[in-house]
Amino acid sequence: MPLTFIDIERQKNWRIWLFFLVLLFLYLVLTAFVTVAFLPFFWQTGPRIWVFAGMVALMVSGIHFWFSAYDTSRTVVRSLDARPPDPQDDVHKMLMNVMQEIHVVTGNRRTIQCVVIPSFSMNALSAADLRGEAVIGITEGLLSRLTRPQLEAVIAHEAHHILSGDCLETTVAASLFGVYSSAMEKLTDTSNGRSFNAAPFFMSWSLLKLSYLLSMFISREREYRADAAAVRMTRDPIALAETLYLLSRSWRGAGFIGSGFEMLCIMNPQATALDETEGFWADLFSTHPPLRKRMDILLKMAQVNIAELEAKAGKAATVNAQNPPVPRYYAMSPRRQWQGPFTPAELAALPWLSPLTWITQGKDRPVERASKEQCINDIFLSRLSELERPLSNVTCPCCRQPLTTESYEGTQVFQCRFCAGILVESDRIPRIIVRTNRETPCSERIVSLAKTVMQQNQLRQLRYLKSVDSAKAAVPLLACPKCGNPMMRGFYSQAHMIEVDRCSFCGITWFDQDELVMLQCLIENRILPEITSPNYIGQSTH
Amino acid sequence: MVILIYFAVVLLFLIWLALIYNGLVSTRNDVQNAWKQIDVQLKRRHDLIPNLIATVKGAMEFEQDTLEKVISARAKAVSANTAASKAESENLLTQALGKLFAVMENYPALKSNQNVMQLQEELTSTENRISFARQLYNDLVANYRTKLQVFPNNVISSFFNFRTEEYFGAEEADRAVPGVNLSLRK
Repeated sequence: MPLTFIDIERQKNWRIWLFFLVLLFLYLVLTAFVTVAFLPFFWQTGPRIWVFAGMVALMVSGIHFWFSAYDTSRTVVRSLDARPPDPQDDVHKMLMNVMQEIHVVTGNRRTIQCVVIPSFSMNALSAADLRGEAVIGITEGLLSRLTRPQLEAVIAHEAHHILSGDCLETTVAASLFGVYSSAMEKLTDTSNGRSFNAAPFFMSWSLLKLSYLLSMFISREREYRADAAAVRMTRDPIALAETLYLLSRSWRGAGFIGSGFEMLCIMNPQATALDETEGFWADLFSTHPPLRKRMDILLKMAQVNIAELEAKAGKAATVNAQNPPVPRYYAMSPRRQWQGPFTPAELAALPWLSPLTWITQGKDRPVERASKEQCINDIFLSRLSELERPLSNVTCPCCRQPLTTESYEGTQVFQCRFCAGILVESDRIPRIIVRTNRETPCSERIVSLAKTVMQQNQLRQLRYLKSVDSAKAAVPLLACPKCGNPMMRGFYSQAHMIEVDRCSFCGITWFDQDELVMLQCLIENRILPEITSPNYIGQSTH
Repeated sequence: MVILIYFAVVLLFLIWLALIYNGLVSTRNDVQNAWKQIDVQLKRRHDLIPNLIATVKGAMEFEQDTLEKVISARAKAVSANTAASKAESENLLTQALGKLFAVMENYPALKSNQNVMQLQEELTSTENRISFARQLYNDLVANYRTKLQVFPNNVISSFFNFRTEEYFGAEEADRAVPGVNLSLRK
């Protein structure tokens, strides 16, 4: 890896020439096929015709290549209906500031534009073309759910792709067939059920397969390098790890981001099982590495700061040795600084400690959530017991702490005091929903959140109808608190598209924070999905 | 004939010398530019602070000493002349601002004030830009030093008196880990 940002060598873009040769070869084959099938008398005129055919193929492939790859940034922006950020909006202003910061750290060597994609999915992409323009796009969904350090990490990751030149290769590979493939896909959608459906469907299928052929040349390793560069820039590996985990659990835009453009994104919009495996075929055809491995690498990097703290602690420890030796932990505060070392007693006194805090025992030990350590769990147990609420014998699947028994709408449910998640037995849910005469009506925040989630999920459903079920296999699942089997994540019902986790063996449903209230709110206010026509190229739903 | 070869060799040597010299000159200019860029970001911070103080003064009337510290640190930073005094006063200003932000957490009314949140975002962005500008400066200094010290550039650079540049270092106080205060008094 180059030492400094200013001498990131532009990778020898030999792959671009390779793509051109592949394209030329394909056109030669096509030209030969056309002459053989339709103009058989050409065969008798001798070898000169081959030269002629070769030149035609060269010209056509040159034109195709140039038109596809010359102006791709604008094409990508247009096809996703992306707009520049709005300076009047606080969140967009933060994005603009982060882009400025990236320009400062790279010495303004390259001007990168930034656009916001009006989708509720969560993803970010970068594109660069032969003209020299570069653009970073981020979806509204992701922008609204990231904290500032996480946003800095994502933008730094994308910026490295652009500066190191591998974004150019990826964009060329994606654009040669991807642009037409996604155009054909949208055409297929509009013509669904009509008589001429077969032709666009076949063309989009074949163009997509061709684009997968090119994706063989796009290495998975570039994502690791970009992750490392993002950490070098922002010095915060945990933020990137948290962002990747957040992305893996949510809709990444499958169906919104056209099928040819997946390789440009930070995480593959189609959550395929292939991405999560390693091995020869996976390395060849997958453009994104497994999430688990990326997170492990980032968490290991997070331990570097701990070495300094350990050195200081080491000096102090020789002075007062305790027996028996007490385990010491380093914890990451909400201000993203490692603090410590703490004994469990000292940890108990920290007001910001929660089951989701990152802790480690030292620079050579793994970095994990606090809920994984038994002695720290005792701290949370004692906090819970202070609350004087009855504790149940089920534990929260996210925080691993016992749930407290609460009465919600007159029914017994189990709630987590740390993450506000609720466990309900599935047959009690209709009761809760029906009791609509609540003292506190739904707050505005919940109503707007519910509407957004519904719209987002409905749009996603329209696309997911066609996709393969194995896509679901790659989403990390929570374990059932009662039986330990993985819970299925899906919509509560077709009419009410709030995502919940359900265990069919035990008949329970797990709602994350706010999900149950949103469901009640949808039903109370009779909120219906509003999508009438999905976003197509050239059409706008605004 | 031999004279032509001789001239060609001398010409090539001169071209090679010129290339190396030009490379060193442009790298040195990059370094000096990056140093000035840090000043640009520091000035941005100086300009934002009076706005922030004016906006929060009404709500934080019991925190006069924290506000005073920020104002005086800023005045000192603006009027600093030498590089050493500049670095010191900027560090003091950073620490004073940090304390102010920590104290602002105790006033939930400020969190709902649109102006305050926007100013805080601008200041956070400025702090980031200052540290990124310093990072870039250090990267460029490393690049410049490497270019000065490798062979054959080191011969040429010493002949033309290229001076090496210093890194922007962290003060020892900055590197100290913030101790966690577990006592009940804030």
